[in-house]
Amino acid sequence: LICSCQRRACQVSLGDLFDRAVKLSHYIHSLSSEMFNEFDERYAQGRGFITKAINSCHTSSLTTPEDKEQAQQIHHEDLLNLVMGVLNSWNDPLLHLVSEVQTIKEAPDTILWKAVEIEEQNKRLLEGMEKIVGRLHPGGLGNELYSRWSGLPSLQLPDEDSRLFAFYNLLHCLRRDSHKIDNYLKLLKCRLIHDSNC
Amino acid sequence: MKRKSLQQSISSITYVPHHLILFHPWQSPPGKPKIVRCHSPEKEMLACWWKPGSDGGLLTSYTLLYSKEGEGQTYECPDYTSAGPSSCYFNKKHINSWTTYIITVKAINEMGSSISEPHYVEAASIGKPEKKKSNKVVMLNFISFSPGQPPGKPELIKCRSPEKETFSCWWKPVSDGGLPTNYTLFYNNEGEESFYECPDYTTAGPNSCYFDKKHTSLWTIYNITIKATNEMGSNISEPHYVDVTYIVQPNPPVNLSLALNKHTDGKLYLLMNWSSPPLADVRSGWLTLEYELRLKPEEGEEWETIFVGQRTKYKVFSLIPGEKYIAQVRCKSDHGEWSKWSSESYIHLPKEFRLKDMMVWVFVAVLSSVICLIMIWMMGLKGINMVACILPPVPGPKIKGLDAHLLEAGKNEELLSALGCQGFPPTSDCEDLLVEFLEIDDSEDQQLMPNHEKGHPNKNLKSGNKETDSDSGRGSCDSPSLLLEKCKESRIPPAEFQTPDFSETQVKAAGKSSQETQNRDPELKLPDFNSDGVKSSTWPGTQLASSQIPKGSYHNIVEVCKVAFSAMNVNVSAIRMGNEEKHPSKYSKNIETICEGEMTQRRKGESFHSKAKADQALQWLLPNEKSPFLSDKPMDYVEIHKVNQNGALAVLPKQKENSDKTEIYPIPGTTKEYAKVTRVVDNNVLVLMPESRVQGMPVFQEPPKESAQSLHQSQAEKNMSYCLTAPSEFRLQTGGLEYMDPNSFMCSFK
Repeated sequence: LICSCQRRACQVSLGDLFDRAVKLSHYIHSLSSEMFNEFDERYAQGRGFITKAINSCHTSSLTTPEDKEQAQQIHHEDLLNLVMGVLNSWNDPLLHLVSEVQTIKEAPDTILWKAVEIEEQNKRLLEGMEKIVGRLHPGGLGNELYSRWSGLPSLQLPDEDSRLFAFYNLLHCLRRDSHKIDNYLKLLKCRLIHDSNC
Repeated sequence: MKRKSLQQSISSITYVPHHLILFHPWQSPPGKPKIVRCHSPEKEMLACWWKPGSDGGLLTSYTLLYSKEGEGQTYECPDYTSAGPSSCYFNKKHINSWTTYIITVKAINEMGSSISEPHYVEAASIGKPEKKKSNKVVMLNFISFSPGQPPGKPELIKCRSPEKETFSCWWKPVSDGGLPTNYTLFYNNEGEESFYECPDYTTAGPNSCYFDKKHTSLWTIYNITIKATNEMGSNISEPHYVDVTYIVQPNPPVNLSLALNKHTDGKLYLLMNWSSPPLADVRSGWLTLEYELRLKPEEGEEWETIFVGQRTKYKVFSLIPGEKYIAQVRCKSDHGEWSKWSSESYIHLPKEFRLKDMMVWVFVAVLSSVICLIMIWMMGLKGINMVACILPPVPGPKIKGLDAHLLEAGKNEELLSALGCQGFPPTSDCEDLLVEFLEIDDSEDQQLMPNHEKGHPNKNLKSGNKETDSDSGRGSCDSPSLLLEKCKESRIPPAEFQTPDFSETQVKAAGKSSQETQNRDPELKLPDFNSDGVKSSTWPGTQLASSQIPKGSYHNIVEVCKVAFSAMNVNVSAIRMGNEEKHPSKYSKNIETICEGEMTQRRKGESFHSKAKADQALQWLLPNEKSPFLSDKPMDYVEIHKVNQNGALAVLPKQKENSDKTEIYPIPGTTKEYAKVTRVVDNNVLVLMPESRVQGMPVFQEPPKESAQSLHQSQAEKNMSYCLTAPSEFRLQTGGLEYMDPNSFMCSFK
């Protein structure tokens, strides 16, 4: 990041912060998508997991815009808040995912590696977003959103089938939420940095 | 028919219609056959199978009847056997129209008949009959169905969202059993329990459902099912789960424009511009698109694909001028699929006319033409014959060692000395001489020929002098090559010198030739020892002698002297018709003395006069020996100064520079250098005829050294004839004559 010396300390521009954030969010979603597809191909074929994975994400309690209109109508602060909430909500699950995915029978290395990478990048994104929020709203956003995840026991179920479904579900939700975050951040970037003229 | 047991027949009584009991209680009309299936094994073929009903105990025959829908006429099955038992085989001859056929099977036995349910066969091609296609006949394919069947199971093909705001789904139509089928799409939103029906069946085309913005939610799973319904029933598809988030495939980009611009450094580049598809909302950032270009020359085969990223313009530098290019662009949403390629855009690059290139070519052309002109002009100036330069000159006949230039320059001495010959002046008589020489007896000819051949080198051979006479050529009338050969022969090294044999043959030849000469008046020439040039002498002996004398060889001087003298003496004596034995001895003695004397005296470099004779003789004998009289040339002409009593020829080297000669033997006027032996008189006198035409000039005169003049035989004979007598009077004064004309001999000297 290029530092431009301004008043106090050397500061990265907001635009650069957003650029970096968008890059990270894009990357995280790519990884999540690949990871899900790999898992789906390998473990979920013919099991009908998709039918069961309805309304099963822990972050669904956070009401997030579901189409463009809704997303455009929401205030950027709120959107930022939501982003932060989702990101925070995934801290814990990602950590456990890394440790638990290794227990999957013959888990391919690619899945393992991706889990580790996603967890790491998510932390960086969180840091970046906190900077952005700090820049935009120095006083803080207030009313921090957070969804608690309680899916750990399901990842540790003895029943292989149930366990696999738990992973499937988790990865499915991860894919979705990472896409949401990516989309929101791109929206915010265009709105805030480029004045809706990307 | 077998008679069944009464038991059976009684039992059957109960089931058989009463009117048949009379005849066959157990028999009945056939049961209803059933058409099992109709199948099209190949195109435009149809086979139907039926299952017979009960046969009623009687032999039952089956008839298949078919008719076209709407027509009344009924036809019978054309082929009952090809497809097997209880089958009917139709080929395109029978079923070939685009209608529905109704097929029934009738079972007949003695008791009655029954007809199966009608079976419908619809003749339909694969897809729709495309009449746009050229005369290609579309094959009929038969879809067989039985009426009243519920539709098949529908299947969803795909769902797509072009802009992440709406989406559409398409399904595959199923066979509807000839009955109209309704399709309904139901979907269930994630989190909701109720199912909704497709809001729009038309916008996206047939067999589709279009979800507009209101009905589209992102990050939710749609559970979509399709239901096909007809009169007979309905069928529902498998559920299809769709999340709009992951089915984004944008439309292709639009407005691809190609323009040629000039870069700051003067280079041309292609600027490509396009726009995102109209529906995609990129501005707000809702949709993030990435673009990809591809280019190729019109005639090219492979596309060059360039990933551009999110920009909507691109500069292409590496294009070939003069080519026509095709370009296309496509896009992809950030996590979605690639769109189709846009329509093609063309651009024709102009041929690059670089002034610099033209200048270079113009300059090169001008320069080369100037150079060519200069070259031609210079060659014209110098008179160089281009043709001669280009085409290799045809080599003229070349004598080895004979330099044509020297000939032209008139330096015969050099020329002929180069040949290894002594300069000799050419005479017009040489041919005569040769002819005469050859006219001698056949047997002698053979003898003579070798001598002749050997003799000729004599003419050419001269001691170490290279001076050639412009008149040289005598004795080589036949060919210069002969000269050459003779010269070559004359160059035989001393080792090859075979004196004794030689002298013997000489004796023989001389003897023979002398006989001839008497009859025919041969022109024998005494050896010429002019200071310059090669002499040719028809005296075989002398010629041979001199020819055999190697150049520059001092080894056998005495021997040589002897040989030469003896040869000469032999000849002389031969001419005289007989050799006196004592003569040779005398001569030889003389020769020896002369030779020896000369050896000593020569070396002292005495005066010309004192040893003129000896010198001359020696000169004669040793043509190659260098002397103060002679220049440094291998061969030279020697004048026969006089003949002394011993029969030796006193010769003078022909030396222009040597004034001594002229002093001693002044001969005014004539430039006689050649003398021919015109005849022999009294068998011992050689009549010499000098070549000079000057009359009234005594032969004794020694003419200044000039080029030889032609000899007028008769006149010369009168005026200048010498008698070559026997040893006592072997006096010869040619005074500069190189050839001695025997005719000129006058017996008066005796």
